Amino acid sequence: MVKRKLWTYWINPLIIGIIHLILLFINSENLVLARDAILIGGTISETGTFNTDVGPFRKLMESWAAMINERGGLPVDGQKLPVKFILYDDKSDRDTVLKFYEKLVTEDKVDLLIGPYSSFLTLAASTVAERHGVPFVAVEANSPKIYERGFKWIVGVLAPATIWSEHYFNMIQAEGKAKSIAFISEDIVHAREVYEGAIKKAEEIGLKVLFKEIAPSKTVDFSAPIAKMKELDPDIVYISSFHPFAVAFMKQAKELDLNPREFHPIHHGIGFLSALGKDAEYAVGESYWVPGIQKGDAKFFEELLKRSGIDVGEWPWAGIRMGAFDVIKAGIEKAGTLEPAKLMNALKTLSVETITGTLRFDEKGVGTMNTIPTQIQNGKYVLIWPKEEGMPTGEHWYPTPKWSERR
Amino acid sequence: MLGAITAYGLFKFLHFPPLLTAVVVFPLFLLIGFLFERWLLRPIKADSQHEFLIASILVTLGASLTIEDVTFFLLEQASISIPFSLPSLKWRGIVIPSIRLIILGIIVCLTLLVHFYLKHSFTGKAMRAITQNREGALVVGVNISRIAMVTFGIGTALAATAGAFYVILFAVTPSIGIPLTVRYLSIVVLGGLGSLMGSLLGGIILGLTEAITSFYVGGHWVPASSFFLLILVLLIRPQGLLGYKS
Repeated sequence: MVKRKLWTYWINPLIIGIIHLILLFINSENLVLARDAILIGGTISETGTFNTDVGPFRKLMESWAAMINERGGLPVDGQKLPVKFILYDDKSDRDTVLKFYEKLVTEDKVDLLIGPYSSFLTLAASTVAERHGVPFVAVEANSPKIYERGFKWIVGVLAPATIWSEHYFNMIQAEGKAKSIAFISEDIVHAREVYEGAIKKAEEIGLKVLFKEIAPSKTVDFSAPIAKMKELDPDIVYISSFHPFAVAFMKQAKELDLNPREFHPIHHGIGFLSALGKDAEYAVGESYWVPGIQKGDAKFFEELLKRSGIDVGEWPWAGIRMGAFDVIKAGIEKAGTLEPAKLMNALKTLSVETITGTLRFDEKGVGTMNTIPTQIQNGKYVLIWPKEEGMPTGEHWYPTPKWSERR
Repeated sequence: MLGAITAYGLFKFLHFPPLLTAVVVFPLFLLIGFLFERWLLRPIKADSQHEFLIASILVTLGASLTIEDVTFFLLEQASISIPFSLPSLKWRGIVIPSIRLIILGIIVCLTLLVHFYLKHSFTGKAMRAITQNREGALVVGVNISRIAMVTFGIGTALAATAGAFYVILFAVTPSIGIPLTVRYLSIVVLGGLGSLMGSLLGGIILGLTEAITSFYVGGHWVPASSFFLLILVLLIRPQGLLGYKS
């Protein structure tokens, strides 16, 4: 009787309790034993306005994860874990971004977030990371506004838009050939920030600013600013805008015979080149990476591009993504854990060699990856500055011949 | 936008001379316009004119957004433009872009052609009759469905032809359609609804106003000047520059 009571009141509940504890231990998502991958979440603009900037980047990201996993994965709590991306199409839409980043944190339980394309979408996505305390790595976003909010859970690989043309102006100063400049900017946040920073830098290096104007985003008639520029005859015409604006300006500059010594469209990617053909020759703009740069693990990046079928000339922002991948990899390796606070601290204190040089973050989380000036020469993007080791720097073709003298 | 993309495709893949792409674009989009009207607009015809108007706006706007999204998905480049230019004409220090002059000439010719077509052909007269009195036109034997199809087809073909020229001068993105539609609607209202010559005149006046504002005041004042002009004209002549009072 006593034995039966002992079983009923003491031993049975004890066994049930132990079974419960074991089940809880097996199911717990927080336990290291249950973890089988490092989850990185993010959205890509596979449709909508930004599709033409980052549309095929899912393949780039998944190829990077596959290459890392083939090399054994990344170290977490004493063991190597594979990397897995959870990605959604944000339709280039702010509300969709908010919805998916919330889902990534609350349902998918990702360990780390990678940002969407553009400062506009990053401003929204980073609020989710901040609210939930999840490390967030911003990619193609360089608006100073992102970092002025005092967020603790963000690092961004890019240097601020206000120093976008830093290397270009250093080159102009070193060469000492150009003496004056005219500015025109598209009335959108990114272009305006680049324009304001560029005017300041141009004045700093002693260039005479002859003309500056911000024109509405959909402007197609540039006859008035071009007429004024013709009168002032600046050495450099600096066009701070995306492709459609710059293409319309360049076409009209040729029609109206505007002949500065150099055109500087800040975005002169494949859209600019294919729209203008040979008229795009001599234009100097900015890129993040060109083939031949031997910095960081350039070979790994070249293999990644090959695997994902991405041509960096056509998709110039692939270099920025690679910078973010290097940051994520180095951050996890340094932290050795996915515990958010430790991982965030490791990310913020990183100094990592990327394909464009050493990348660090300041106290606000702003990175140091910046552009390099490239010139369109015979239909190719040729790096023209800086002249340093590991950089395939070519000759700067200056001055640009007049339209009537071009072949 | 589709006219521009078709012209770009003809130039890039079939090496068509840029100014001749319109020769293919016009008939192709005339057919597309016929089919669009036949398959998407005719089935939603309602007894009430008001209901049909609302339904047709929803269908055309929906189609526009769908085409925009699909094009975004399919198009690999952010913007497209035909890399083509001609030497500008220079006369006593004045530079006249010859390509724009040629395109302006073609547009004036097209406007005159459409004007004479509307004034003198049976279909043109029928189109005007339906606009003025739908029931009356029906009574005298005008086939309203057929005329609606032809009207929609011609409109589509003209818009596509404009796109074929637009892509030579500027860069085209998939999202270009709706902002341009709003702008051109303003020109039509400015010139006077139903007046082709009014639209041509409205376009020239608006263009000149914008260029003068941009030169003397600054580029950022251009949109404001356009709206100011539109409001001013509508206050003085509510029917537009060459429109008729109903």
